[in-house]
Amino acid sequence: MTTLWDTTGTAVVKALAAERRAGGAVMSGLALTLVVVVEEKQVAEAEEAARIAASVVPCRMLMVVRRQVDAPVPRLDAEVLIGGRLGPGESIVMRMYGRLAAHAESVVLPLLAPDAPVVTWWHGPPPDVIAHDPLGVFADRRITDSAWMPDPGAALAVRAADFLPGDTDLAWTRTTGWRAALAAALDSVEGTVTGGCVQGDPGTPTAKLLAGWLSARLGCDIDLEPAEKVPGNTAVSGARLDLDTDRVIILQRIDARTVSVHGGAGPDTVVQLPKRNLGDLLGEELRRLDADQPYGEALAAATGASGLTDRSGRRRHVWLDPADQITADQNSAEQNAARA
Amino acid sequence: MTEPTELTNPLRDPRDRRLPRVPEACALVVFGITGDLARKKLLPAFYDLANRGLLPTNFALLGFARRDWGDGDFIALAEKAARDYARTEWREDVWERLAGNMRFVPGSFDDDEAFDNLTTTLNDMGDTHGIQGNAAFFLSIPPAMFPVVLQQMQRTGLADNDRSGGWRRVVVEKPFGHDLNSAIELNTLVDDVFGWRDVYRIDHYLGKETVQNLLALRFANNLFEPIWNAHYVDSVQITMAEDGGIGSRAAFYDETGAARDVLQNHLLQLLALTAMEEPVQFIPSAIRTEKLKVLRAVTVPEDLDAYAVRGQYEQGWLAGERVAGYQQEKDVPEDSTTETFAAVRLGVETRRWAGVPFYLRTGKRLPRRVTEIALSFSKAPHLPFAKTDTEELGHNQLVVRVQPDEGMTLKFGSKVPGSMMEVRDVSMDFLYGETFTEASPEAYERLLLDVLLGDAMLFPLNEEVEASWDVVDPLEAHWAGAEPHRYRAGEWGPDAADQMLARDGRVWRRP
Repeated sequence: MTTLWDTTGTAVVKALAAERRAGGAVMSGLALTLVVVVEEKQVAEAEEAARIAASVVPCRMLMVVRRQVDAPVPRLDAEVLIGGRLGPGESIVMRMYGRLAAHAESVVLPLLAPDAPVVTWWHGPPPDVIAHDPLGVFADRRITDSAWMPDPGAALAVRAADFLPGDTDLAWTRTTGWRAALAAALDSVEGTVTGGCVQGDPGTPTAKLLAGWLSARLGCDIDLEPAEKVPGNTAVSGARLDLDTDRVIILQRIDARTVSVHGGAGPDTVVQLPKRNLGDLLGEELRRLDADQPYGEALAAATGASGLTDRSGRRRHVWLDPADQITADQNSAEQNAARA
Repeated sequence: MTEPTELTNPLRDPRDRRLPRVPEACALVVFGITGDLARKKLLPAFYDLANRGLLPTNFALLGFARRDWGDGDFIALAEKAARDYARTEWREDVWERLAGNMRFVPGSFDDDEAFDNLTTTLNDMGDTHGIQGNAAFFLSIPPAMFPVVLQQMQRTGLADNDRSGGWRRVVVEKPFGHDLNSAIELNTLVDDVFGWRDVYRIDHYLGKETVQNLLALRFANNLFEPIWNAHYVDSVQITMAEDGGIGSRAAFYDETGAARDVLQNHLLQLLALTAMEEPVQFIPSAIRTEKLKVLRAVTVPEDLDAYAVRGQYEQGWLAGERVAGYQQEKDVPEDSTTETFAAVRLGVETRRWAGVPFYLRTGKRLPRRVTEIALSFSKAPHLPFAKTDTEELGHNQLVVRVQPDEGMTLKFGSKVPGSMMEVRDVSMDFLYGETFTEASPEAYERLLLDVLLGDAMLFPLNEEVEASWDVVDPLEAHWAGAEPHRYRAGEWGPDAADQMLARDGRVWRRP
């Protein structure tokens, strides 16, 4: 491990090369570069998740921590490791202070693995407009997490407005277990689904996306009904599908690990649906490097936006001065305080 | 035979690759559930599949064996097997759900009552467990028992798709006969009862990721296919070496030998995948067609004395331990002439491969356990360098490592740094585990899942088996009665095998 204080991007590139040589076995099969954008408070959480994900998909992990954007002097501290604490791959944790935080790409670009896909993951509130963050502009896949948004209920509309194929959201990843269970329940069942609902917390993007996905796939309205919270603290507590054959399929969460299935082709049964940790969610995202059309369709159905998957092109960086944003945030905070 | 009507599930979307491929509701019936294979491979594979969420919600497992057992004894055996050999972590709730769907039917194979009982149990479970008549039968029994069991299945209608209202499939393991005639007999028998489309022959090598990757390597890239022919390829070596001995299989092995045990199935399947033409589509029938064409084009050398070598290991040292010779192994006759090593030069008579020798070898008690396919390319037609510059330059090679260290190696010449021009072989490695660390599933997991999904891509067809015997039979006829060459345990086979390649001006690669 090499730790560099008050350093430059060039020194980091050299330190990485030196670490690779010293490590003996040079990683030649890097599948991708994962750029993690995170606040200091969440660094430990993000590191743990990246470690788990890296054990599934080896990658070069570049963690960018933007600190004290208003610091008078720009400064870069970096930590370079191969193997060890952050999993089997290569990891660089960089802390950027002052104006450097607005130009993080100048350090990150030379560190990207040559010609390998880049995935950027915001572990924290994602930018409303991804083009505002240069670290999201050069990425092939962009992973946001709407659960972090100050108003998660409105978060999906923000994502839909900004959507380009290649975007994905961990709120969508959280639906995979439910989607698999619902698809399995509908296997070998005769008839057409004419309606139904998802029961869950209407404030969560996960429940909305699940209902959106069902509506998009089944071609009928699947509503989101508020439901009491269930043990396990998950966004979705159940789902119901009504078929034209008078069959009703009901999935209901029993506890944090299991869901009961009633009304499928077989007898009533119970399926495992444990809550997954952040690392597993991230690992699932990294396994797929192509655009996720089903997500685009679910997002469109959940928000009423249209033509999301037909959008194309790459983003171009749109300059937004972080200092201005801080001032804006402060202003709105002051206004809120005044209102209170 | 009618195909069961396909119900399309609108929630299944081919673009949605996050959702696992899960088979329809079905049952699996295992004959010989108490055997080694069932305990060490099958039952653990089922637990692993269940643990990974790849089994349907409505799934039943039936064991059939000649034991005076109840369901409880069976479940206890299965639990021990799964705990001992499963790849994935132990989860009590997963196991409990699986155990709740397990039944045991006692009886011997010639017992009509037992089979009637099995049929009833299966039909009952069709209702109570929602398996809708779908069932796969795994014959984990010696081939000699096949006729009795298959007859019983025919009598009770177990094998009948129409009568059961779902699909019925049968899974058989090697050996697929011991020569062409016995193979045809066996194939006819199984195919008659089940219909050839519903017969799944397991060659567990085809379940390995690297073998499937061979198809991706060849047909998804533009880089390799143009040089994948006699113009550029000098020779091909396919090796499957084992460091182990014959273990507890003495009785079976002494009658079989290396050629029937490994060459006839695994090595020839690897050859077929290496040499086949591009399938018109990536579907089972197209791939089988191409494999069959290659297997039928395989020729054995005229001079069998020189180009078909068999060996038998003698006592020696392996991995720091002294090991006994083959004739001294338990239950092996002292004068046994069964081969534990076989090497042969085959040709593939097609435009693509005319004149390229395919050297196949397999053996037990070789220095390490390794399986690989190595293509050795011709030397450059002209070298502008001085002769002394390229003394250490060998043939370019492309090696597909099937196991262990799954991956690929490309060997080519490169300049040695320094003021002089000197070219030496270097190698470039692609290691599967480095790019994709996700643990590859056990071959059995993949193959069992494919059986339940009805995906026949990785299963050799009856005609492939027969074409393979067509290759092996002349070798066996030539070897019959002759003494095998001897090699010390821990060596790379007998001298005769080295001489076989030396005669062609080549050497075996050390894998």
